Amino acid sequence: MSAVDALPAIASRNRFFDALAPGGRRALFVLGIIGVCLLFAFPVFWLVLTSLRPGYAVYYVHRGTDFTLDNFHEVLSQEIVLRALWNSLAISTLATVLSLGVTVTSGYMLSRFRGPIPNLWFSAIYVFRCVPYVSWVLPLYFVTRALGIFDTYWGLLLPHVAVHICFFSWIMKGFFDGIDPSMEYAAMIDGCSRWGAFLRVALPAAIPGLTALAILCWLYTWNEFLFALILTAQKTPILTVVMAQFVHELGMEWHLMSATAVLSLGPALIVTIFGQKYVIRGLKI
Amino acid sequence: MAEVTLSNVRKTYPGGVAAVKDFNLHIADHEFVVLVGPSGCGKSTTLRMVAGLEDISGGTIAIGNRIVNGLQPKDRDIAMVFQNYALYQHMSVYDNLAFGLRNRRAKEADIDVAVRGAAKILSIEPLLERRPRQLSGGQQQRVALGRCIVRNPKVFLFDEPLSNLDAQLRAQMRLELKELRQRVPTTSVFVTHDQVEAMTLGDRIVVMKDGLVQQVGSPLALFRHPINRFVASFIGSPAMNFLDMAVAAQADTFRLTAEGVAIELPQLRFPRLGAQVGRSVTLGLRPQHLRLGSAGNGAQVAFSGNLMVTEQLGDEQLLAVRIGSGDLRVSGVDPELALTTGTRIDLVVPIESLHIFEGSTGAAIR
Repeated sequence: MSAVDALPAIASRNRFFDALAPGGRRALFVLGIIGVCLLFAFPVFWLVLTSLRPGYAVYYVHRGTDFTLDNFHEVLSQEIVLRALWNSLAISTLATVLSLGVTVTSGYMLSRFRGPIPNLWFSAIYVFRCVPYVSWVLPLYFVTRALGIFDTYWGLLLPHVAVHICFFSWIMKGFFDGIDPSMEYAAMIDGCSRWGAFLRVALPAAIPGLTALAILCWLYTWNEFLFALILTAQKTPILTVVMAQFVHELGMEWHLMSATAVLSLGPALIVTIFGQKYVIRGLKI
Repeated sequence: MAEVTLSNVRKTYPGGVAAVKDFNLHIADHEFVVLVGPSGCGKSTTLRMVAGLEDISGGTIAIGNRIVNGLQPKDRDIAMVFQNYALYQHMSVYDNLAFGLRNRRAKEADIDVAVRGAAKILSIEPLLERRPRQLSGGQQQRVALGRCIVRNPKVFLFDEPLSNLDAQLRAQMRLELKELRQRVPTTSVFVTHDQVEAMTLGDRIVVMKDGLVQQVGSPLALFRHPINRFVASFIGSPAMNFLDMAVAAQADTFRLTAEGVAIELPQLRFPRLGAQVGRSVTLGLRPQHLRLGSAGNGAQVAFSGNLMVTEQLGDEQLLAVRIGSGDLRVSGVDPELALTTGTRIDLVVPIESLHIFEGSTGAAIR
């Protein structure tokens, strides 16, 4: 009955496409896809192009035929860029490992347990998420200075881990909500403790989601700029900040900035390509 | 192998909702008991308390000679089958079956013997290397059963294990479960909302409603002598017909009347109806007990009404006969019989097949 009712609505919704020949419909679809792809890919393409041009030619990227790898050579010969590359890699990886360790258990608790502690935790996360991200930066600056961890790994790691826990606990809760708890009950009857049921049954079942989160976490920290800008200085340079520092009193060195950006794109691209199928699978649960 | 005893078991959730109120039951060794009732009646909660997945608010549960109230599920020596099978998705069927034994640190050689033995009983040997996702619903349920058998526990617990299967498979699994009982006799508690499953599988049935046990008895006892209107309506298919009637006393009979129907019952056979004179009672008639024809003698009661609908099932016909403002369902009518809807039809029922319930409480009057 309801299916019959729904038919005319569907027909009218598709009337515009029905008027087109089947081939035309497909052509329109493909054109749309290409348009969207261009929209996203063009800036990246332009960036790569700029990074391959000599310094004097960056404002005429669309003209001229001189291309060079000198920009990369120059950037990579600066010690601070190499250190920043290493720091970014290390901090992204450490932040991912640390925050996932907490996020998994916190998401699991939010999904499976009721009571004052989960409620309090949930409220804390909620409040944190309500406050604009930017407004944390200044207090964090003072706190890290007071603790003597300003411009160190910990000074950047801890804020990142805190942000990740708040953002990703909810997602992790969603993953665990999608996993039937009776699997854990079965494990408990099969001889596991409550903790054992989590570790041996729920956690392995959440691996696809966990992988997706790990990748999102890593990319988030890798791309993050604001915390890195405020909470680090000369001792612990971070790639996103170093990149921005090619703007100075003598002007902007777009070619060097682009080369650094392309360098920073590399690892992110590898992670994304490698992790794409996990992200998609993970977000589907 | 063990007995299970529940004494005054209660479950009250925070917030004061009482899911189970004063549950008492003794389950004998190797007995198969079915808890049945509508959703929210507390049957699953009771089972989960036996399993140790829910705290017990009051009373005691004993498995064998041991009170298990404070014990973890893993220490109760039970096995459970869940509605959605609850197989470990990231393990092969073999590892699913072996999981419980590995947790108990059994020797890998012994585990192999036990797993292959259980797989043989359930004919799932070819599936051992597969993942649960690659199995059909029936196969998954067999693996879940295998996980129980392998452990050789004191008690099997079943939480609506057949509800996710389609009707045909459910009927088949019912048979397999019965067969399994003979091969692996174990004390079992089976929860279902399906009265057919309850009737076919249970040695004894516990009918529950609103957290209270309504009646405990063998399938036949529940069918023949339901203790109240709820049990009468819940057990039996098609469901029992009910007519609300007023009671009046006459010389040596009680006269029961409702819109469009009046019957007389001998006082000698229904002595306890005397207390209901001037009140209303509910008459219960099983569709199977109603026959076409007019009353031949005092051992039968007659009804007459308009035939509204006939349903041909091949081996029988089902009828709906309008009496007063309600319909009486009649089953077991000769399928060859040509009946015209809209015509008047006479029905009789033997007096001994009548069920009478108090109008106010619904309790059976015998």
